[in-house]
Amino acid sequence: MLEPLVQNLAFGLLVGALYGLAAVGLSLVFGVTKFLNVAHGELLMFGGYASFWIFTLLGIDPFLTLASTIVFLLVIGLVLYKLLFARMVKLTESVKIQNTLLVGFGLSLILQNLALRLWTADTRSITTFYSGSVFTLLGVRFPIVRVASLVIALVTLLALDMFLRRTYTGKALRATVENWEAATLMGIDIQRVYLLSFVLGAALAGVAGCLVSVGYSIDPVMGMNWTLKGLIVMVLGGLGSITGTFVGGLVLGVTESATGFFLSLTYREVVGLVLFVLILVFRPQGLFGTKEG
Amino acid sequence: MTRKQVTFIALLILIAILAFLPVVVKKDSTINLALLVLLYVSLASSWNILGGYSGQINLGHAAFFGAGTLVTRSLWLSGWNLFPSLLAGGLVAVALALLIGIPAFRLRGIYFAIGTLALAQILYITVGNTLPMISSLPAQSLATYELVPRYYLFLGLTILTTGTAYFLVNSRLGLGIMAIREEEDAAESLGVSALQHKLLALSVSAFFAGLTGGAFAYYHVGYYPQLPFAPEWTFDSMMMAYIGGAGTIIGPIIGAVFFVIVREFLVLKLAELHLIVFGVLFILVVLFLPGGLVGVWGTLQKALARRSRPKEIKLTPTRES
Amino acid sequence: MLKIEEIDAYYGDLQALWGISMQVNEGELVALVGPNGAGKTTTLRVITGLLKPASGDIHFYGHHLDKVAAHKIVELGISQVPEGGKIFTAMSVLENLELGAFVASARKVKDQSLQWVYEIFPRLEERKNQRAGTLSGGERQMLAIGRALMSKPRLLLLDEPSFGLAPLLVEQIFAMITEINRQGVTVLLVEQNVRAALELAHRAYVIENGRIVGQGTGDALLSFESVRSAYLA
Repeated sequence: MLEPLVQNLAFGLLVGALYGLAAVGLSLVFGVTKFLNVAHGELLMFGGYASFWIFTLLGIDPFLTLASTIVFLLVIGLVLYKLLFARMVKLTESVKIQNTLLVGFGLSLILQNLALRLWTADTRSITTFYSGSVFTLLGVRFPIVRVASLVIALVTLLALDMFLRRTYTGKALRATVENWEAATLMGIDIQRVYLLSFVLGAALAGVAGCLVSVGYSIDPVMGMNWTLKGLIVMVLGGLGSITGTFVGGLVLGVTESATGFFLSLTYREVVGLVLFVLILVFRPQGLFGTKEG
Repeated sequence: MTRKQVTFIALLILIAILAFLPVVVKKDSTINLALLVLLYVSLASSWNILGGYSGQINLGHAAFFGAGTLVTRSLWLSGWNLFPSLLAGGLVAVALALLIGIPAFRLRGIYFAIGTLALAQILYITVGNTLPMISSLPAQSLATYELVPRYYLFLGLTILTTGTAYFLVNSRLGLGIMAIREEEDAAESLGVSALQHKLLALSVSAFFAGLTGGAFAYYHVGYYPQLPFAPEWTFDSMMMAYIGGAGTIIGPIIGAVFFVIVREFLVLKLAELHLIVFGVLFILVVLFLPGGLVGVWGTLQKALARRSRPKEIKLTPTRES
Repeated sequence: MLKIEEIDAYYGDLQALWGISMQVNEGELVALVGPNGAGKTTTLRVITGLLKPASGDIHFYGHHLDKVAAHKIVELGISQVPEGGKIFTAMSVLENLELGAFVASARKVKDQSLQWVYEIFPRLEERKNQRAGTLSGGERQMLAIGRALMSKPRLLLLDEPSFGLAPLLVEQIFAMITEINRQGVTVLLVEQNVRAALELAHRAYVIENGRIVGQGTGDALLSFESVRSAYLA
């Protein structure tokens, strides 16, 4: 009786790691620039497709090509930022928030339909020779691929954390999150910091997308779903802490699994969203920018 | 004749044309197309009341549209008369809107946008899972199905929506709503209750979205109940309002017409291209042309007017060196 | 070293400064005093590039400050302690100080600068690994000043360092400012606490409603009748 539940929760934990990774990218950008990039999910989707096509066309294992996927997304992030978001940096707070939301939404539409045109609506997934392997621990089955994804997600976040805490640039980023004017007084070029954070956010989305394409599946319309997951986790885990956000992702994953197990699949799909709405309604402070209003 | 009078007469002519369309044109496909345009005008206009005029971006407009379809369809199919069913649909949409609006509006920034997005998704998924079967008209309704009355329903609805938007905008309430969009704090200090005005705009917006949904339920022979809750309805409305000109009355109208025409044209060629085109246009409008097509037209007019004015003769005093 | 000539500045359509002219010479401690909302902070923002003036000039050792991007001002040798300190509360005291030395030239001599700052503010060394958010009001102000010093500025701008502090702390902070000035850092001090600022300063300017209405040595202004009645009564 207990076993199926534990199995279920294990799966929830594994997918939760990816939710957390997706959310960290989103919250990094939001924390620094105050842009909520609603096209984050589409960037993730592109990361997935990048890994998929490299694997399909060149036969190289996605875990090995992770670096190239990252580079690919770094470039996309750079181009998109310079093209669209850079010009909105100077706007007043409320206009900036609104316009970046709208532009992000337009972007997600374009990216989504671009993907549909290029790669059709078919669901894709990367299947390697070890895709079916599992290792069993205490009667619970852990698919190798998903465990590897969890590990990679952790390593990525650890690297990010090191960057933010140990390097000068990383500290500059954190300073900008708190107070961009004071940061400017230190000689920090805010434009560069914004660009860096956006590009990093895209790269993180790329990593998450790659992991999703191996362990799960990708399709052109998955973007909004993942953006919403990211938002939910941001709200659950609170802004400003990588650990908090990651744990929030795990919590969401496990909650979804448990809901699916005890109630039904329908509820499982909406539990995250319902939690999100409830938290927004009853406890929004300290979740998003406490600096504003 | 003043510009206002000219516009008013033009509008009357337009309405007359639309009213006589089914009499003159007998092709169902044309009437269908016109009906679709009216549907979009209504939906975009209703979105615009909140999004364009009060600046609150509603990413869950489809929830109100869908709620209208659900309520109206259920009531109508269970024996209610059409108009009470429509009204009920509109009112339920308003109730839904207030449910999310009252808490969400207390907060600033983007909370309303993402909250409405989440709400619409919840409904979309839930309806899709609890009502997976197609909702079809019963046999006898099918037999007596007529397109033309439905066309007139949409026409009337669109006139009602646009007319209400016009009167609201030009009223004192409308001033308050727009003041909030510009500068919420300043408006509050002048005694404009931001919350009340936002809720009003939201309610009116939701009401008409709900009515449009009800009309949709009356119009469609068979559809999946989940369909009207799909995010596409929200996003299409948003794009139409912006590309046409958010914050204007004609904006959504132009946007909807433009949207449907371009879509019909592009769908013949390449399937998803129209959405990419609209996405690009949308971004261009947000970044560079905040007035949309209406704004562009206005700028053009001014530029032309300047050109046609006779050059002013400058009278400058001669300089004594 | 710093020369401000006929600066007009606007917040949107609202004019905040009218024809501001000031001068700060090397080694001086100059005060800019005036009531709340007079334009003191605005003047500082114009100097540090956070607000671009509509007209006028600012020279700093030959550089036209009004043409320099805000984040490059520090490289030129001007460092500001903003109103309220604006320390990074989520980061440690040490990290705050390190960020003060962000610019390349300061980063090289970071450790020396750190020693210097610890000498002036031993309390900061005690608390160097603590989260800045846990510091008391006075300590935060010290951190803010220390952070500004980390870039080894030639000119230090202070925006109301006494704000919100108990009188004893104000005395301490002002003593430290005097010491910093004595060690060779030119200081432009903006203050609402007119008496204390005038007692400290070599020279001072009085600003009211966006205009300079008086200037002179600290002592002269202290005894000047209108200043006394307006601010010191």
